[in-house]
Amino acid sequence: MTGEVNSFLSAVWPRFQQTGDELHLSHYRTFQDYRQIWGMAIFVLISTALVPLVVITMIYYQLIQRSIDTESLLRTERVASNARRAVTFFLEERLAALTFTVNEMGYDRLTDPGRLQDVLQNLKLGFGGLTDLSVIADDGTQVAYAGPFNLEGKDYTDQPWFRDCLKNDACVSEIFSGYRDVPHVVVAVKSIRDDGRAFVVRATLETERLIQTLSSYKTGEHADIFLVNHQGLLQTPSSFFKGESNRMAIAVPPFAERTRAMMKTDASGQQIVVGYAYIATKIVPTSFILMVVKQKAGMMKVWLNLRREINWFLFLSALVLVVVITLTSSFMVNKIFQADSEKAKTMAMAEQNCQLASIGQLAAGVAHEINNPLALINETAGYVKDLFTLKKEYKDDPELLDNIDSIIEAVERCGTITRQLLGFARRFDVQNQTINLKDMVSDVINFHKKEAEYRDIAIHVDIPDGLPPIETDRGKLQQIILNLVNNAFQAIDNGSFLDIQARADADDRVRLSIRDNGCGISEENLKKIFEPFFTTKKEGQGTGLGLSITYGLVQKLHGNITVESQIGQGTTFVITLPITAKKETQA
Amino acid sequence: MKVLLVDDEQKFALMLSKRLELRGIPAKVFFSGEKALAEVEAGSRFDVAVLDVKMPGIGGVELKSRLSAVDPEMKFVFLTGHGSGTDYETGCLEAGDCLPKPLKIEQLIEALNRLVPDA
Repeated sequence: MTGEVNSFLSAVWPRFQQTGDELHLSHYRTFQDYRQIWGMAIFVLISTALVPLVVITMIYYQLIQRSIDTESLLRTERVASNARRAVTFFLEERLAALTFTVNEMGYDRLTDPGRLQDVLQNLKLGFGGLTDLSVIADDGTQVAYAGPFNLEGKDYTDQPWFRDCLKNDACVSEIFSGYRDVPHVVVAVKSIRDDGRAFVVRATLETERLIQTLSSYKTGEHADIFLVNHQGLLQTPSSFFKGESNRMAIAVPPFAERTRAMMKTDASGQQIVVGYAYIATKIVPTSFILMVVKQKAGMMKVWLNLRREINWFLFLSALVLVVVITLTSSFMVNKIFQADSEKAKTMAMAEQNCQLASIGQLAAGVAHEINNPLALINETAGYVKDLFTLKKEYKDDPELLDNIDSIIEAVERCGTITRQLLGFARRFDVQNQTINLKDMVSDVINFHKKEAEYRDIAIHVDIPDGLPPIETDRGKLQQIILNLVNNAFQAIDNGSFLDIQARADADDRVRLSIRDNGCGISEENLKKIFEPFFTTKKEGQGTGLGLSITYGLVQKLHGNITVESQIGQGTTFVITLPITAKKETQA
Repeated sequence: MKVLLVDDEQKFALMLSKRLELRGIPAKVFFSGEKALAEVEAGSRFDVAVLDVKMPGIGGVELKSRLSAVDPEMKFVFLTGHGSGTDYETGCLEAGDCLPKPLKIEQLIEALNRLVPDA
């Protein structure tokens, strides 16, 4: 169980996230910042995966939104247009009936007592929705009345509809309560008596019929349809706009001949679609505006539900993407990290191996150096022995003494070389100490002196006496110089030269360059020269580790190594080292 | 038998020549290949040349081929300070007798007697 938990944790939070594990990598500065790679990979993958998804969804939403807006405007306009036709027809029909009656019967017959009652009856039968009927003289007095209320003799001079009617031949009043305190609408037509005076026939219409007609166009609870007058006062009941003021809470739309629809925001900040039409009959305009108001939220409900589902789907997809990408990135970066760790371990081992190898190489060199004096000792001792065995007159022979001196001298030579060897070997495990670069270079050159002599290689060492001593790891620096000089010796032909130069550099650093005029390195190889196991030598002749180890050592000493080379011209390695040692930054 | 001894280690060469002389084999000593070559080119004749492999200037192996060009009859013995594994040794093994330093004088005498049996 704990194993599973651990493996899950290591998948989500891999080892490269833990700082302690970087310890054995710290020797190699070339290694990457894995957390940064990890973060970058996740960021890039997630953005490339999610951005198009989100953008497409946004565009889709936008398009849907736009088409819904257009569609709802169109639909609202259609409803308004139909309702307008119905209302107009309702009014026109009654006006026409009234006109017909007036023209047909004339003033005298209409004012016959009881006659008007018959007309009302007939009209009620034909159209319905009429409450009463009256004839009004041009002075405003009601001269005949038929209906449930006894209104004969009433004066209508002050009524606005009456004045309208005299002016325009016909009129449709606003809906008002009048003397009876019952909402009604008055339609009236004007005609001329035989004596030339005008008179008006008025009919009161029940608003109930009009309201019914309107509500038949009402679609759903999110829609409202009603009439207002030009001042915005409600003429028929509205389900959206209720209250004392009896007023529509949105601005009265501007006059338009045709039906119109538009988007608005109501008082509570909600989006509404408003369709409207100014009602006008063929004979006379009215003060009614037909309003169709729809709540956008209600119309969008289906779409909003669908959108919520899409959003959920989007969110879940994004979540899955993020999880998959994070896990994949962690896995891949962890693989890289593991591979690099392996490489670093191999490098560390190879470095150790190479150290051993260079000690071996050194020992072989020293053994060779010792061989010559040993051969001399051998011959001299052999000769002394020969003198003893082959000649009788050895006593008091000065030559004998000379030869013994010769033996002693040869032994001293051996001693010197052995001391040098010991001194060199001891330096491998030493930590930071102050070093005179000039001495060190000449120490290293000493080991190559013989070979240089044999191969006629000129070694110029140009290190000023005033160069400040540097504080560093002696063994490692010695190995760096030895490796580079070895390398140069392999690259140059007999009779070439090797230039070793050191200068104090800016920023408390020392710059050591080792230049040869050997075969040079191609540009392509130059890039790979510090890579481990890269070699141009034949198989079995080089491990390809020398320069990569040198690189690692220079890094360890907080220095830099660069190389410049041209084919056929030679190669220059430049090392810069800090004069004062930095503390190792290991925890 | 006349022996030509070439080695840049001067004391070694002189000592070896003395030991050879004690054994009745006269040896002419040179400290560099160039001088030895000049001597042979000037007309001196030797039965066998004992050459150090590794010398500044003309090395033993090269000296052998150049001496052979002058005197095809000449036999050769090489001396080497390298224990093992170098190209010098490979070259010298191909060239003929090769004796390691420090030297056992008996081995050298045996090689010389084998190469020049009638002396």
